[in-house]
This record gives sequence, C-alpha cells and structure tokens, in this order.
Amino acid sequence: MSHNVLIVDDSATIRQMVRKVMQMAGLDVGEVYEAANGIEALAQLADRDVDVILVDINMPTMNGIQLLTRMKQNARLKDIPIVIASTEGSKQRIDQMKEFGASGYVRKPFQPEQLRDVLAPILGVSSHAAAAADGNADDGLF
Amino acid sequence: MQQQQQTATLTTVFSEVLANLAFMFTDTEPGEPVLEGEWLETMISYHGPYQGTLRLRCTRAFTVLLAANLLGIDPDDDEAEHGADDAAKEFMNIVCGQLVTTLHGTDPVFNLSIPRSTPLAEPPDLYSEDVSTTSTLWVEGHPVQLVYAAGPPTAGA
Repeated sequence: MSHNVLIVDDSATIRQMVRKVMQMAGLDVGEVYEAANGIEALAQLADRDVDVILVDINMPTMNGIQLLTRMKQNARLKDIPIVIASTEGSKQRIDQMKEFGASGYVRKPFQPEQLRDVLAPILGVSSHAAAAADGNADDGLF
Repeated sequence: MQQQQQTATLTTVFSEVLANLAFMFTDTEPGEPVLEGEWLETMISYHGPYQGTLRLRCTRAFTVLLAANLLGIDPDDDEAEHGADDAAKEFMNIVCGQLVTTLHGTDPVFNLSIPRSTPLAEPPDLYSEDVSTTSTLWVEGHPVQLVYAAGPPTAGA
C-alpha cells in the first residue's frame, strides 16, 4: 500500500531532495504534495488526504511550530502524523515539538536510512520498522 | 571560545555539511581557481542566548554546482541554474543549524533568520589575513569565503 506524503519546506531544493531520498529509502510512496510554508500546507490539506507530513521549522509566513499547533487544533487534521525535518538540534526545541504532538524528528542533513527509520514505523512498513527497531535506539521517533 | 576558534569551527562544520549533503569536498589550496563571473553573498543569523551572523561569499557558478549536486543532476541542467540561489540559502540554513549546536551546545534554543542572498559589487579579498573572522576555501576549483561574526547583525546586514 503506497502512502501519500506532504513535504512542507520553503526550499524547493530541499523538497526535491526529500522526494529523491524517500525513493532511495525504499519507502512505498504514492502521491507527494509540496508546500512552501504552513499556510500553503493547510490549503493543500483542505482537499487532500495524506498519510504523513514532513515539516521544516524555519519558514516564512507560517513556520512549522505554528502549523503543528494549528493542525492539532483541527479535528480533521490532528491525527495526521507529523515529522519535523529541521536544521535545529536543540533538545528543548525537540522536546517542544514532541509536546506539540509531532510523531518524529529528523535533523538536516539526513541520509536516506535516517529518514526511512523515522517514517517506516509511522507508515507501518514492517520490514524497515523491524530494521529500525533492531538495535537502533536513536531512530528519531517520539 | 575565541573568535578565531569559532571561525575554525565554522570551517569544519561547513566542510562536513558540504560533504554529507552535496558530496563536495573543500581544499585549502586553490588549484586552478574559477574566479570570474557574478559573486553572491548569502547571509544568515541566529539569536538566542548567543547571537551570530554567517556569510558565504561565492560565485554564482559555485551555487549552480551546489544545486546540481544537491539534486543529483548535471550542472548544465536548467534546473541547477534555476535552483542555485535557493540551494545556497538552504545550505547556509543547515550550516547555521549545525554550527549553533557545535558552538553553544544542544541545551539552548536559537532562532535562525531566513537566509538571503545578494549580489556583490566586486569579488571579496580572498587572501584576507583576518583569520579571526574569515576563512577561504576551495571547492572543485571554486573559491568560497566564510565570514563569521559573533554578536548581532551589523547595520545593513
């Protein structure tokens, strides 16, 4: 079963990179939608069904924290898993994302297997989930 | 940490991010440098318990090469040209994110500015002896100059 993904990042380069990294990671990805900020993401989510959202934090107009907060207040959107993909490495920031309801965190720059280790369990991909769970404690999942 | 050490740390972080993200490698010797063409400066700053500003000065040709490597395409591809500015800005965003935790640890929270690129009227002094703020490296023949300043952005930055 393929999974639809929404990539929210103000860098078009990163959005394209993430598309390729997901392919390289062996994830069964269906439709991939893109948004350059939180406002665009909410507009995309108004009429699309996605299985997971990858969100940058540092974006203009509406950043990743604001998007996360808005989604958790929305009955239709609050259960969509959100993975933070950011350059930020502060423990407090990561804990804050967890408190706000993020399902995982991956720090840029990331390798395909790091993204796979975070996304696979969320998407219920059994083989990779097992690989991620097998001796890989720091898999970025909350 | 003295500013000279901070600049050395920036050089290390820059080289590591470049290698991990774009599979490109830095050199301290020029080889056969590519000096001609338009020069750009990409700037980003951070603030929190500490503040600082980073600048990357490079040719547009380098940013095209960077975009090509990030996207895994040929540098002659229109997509590389189209994505060059964006690639430089995102690259500096990642360098800055890595730098703040390397310099200041993972406990404090920092906010990063949105990176921005501006053309330079003339090439920078690549042989500046002010190593306390400036590091000049070479990437596949392209000169890149990194400038780090602790403290808030200066006026006009």
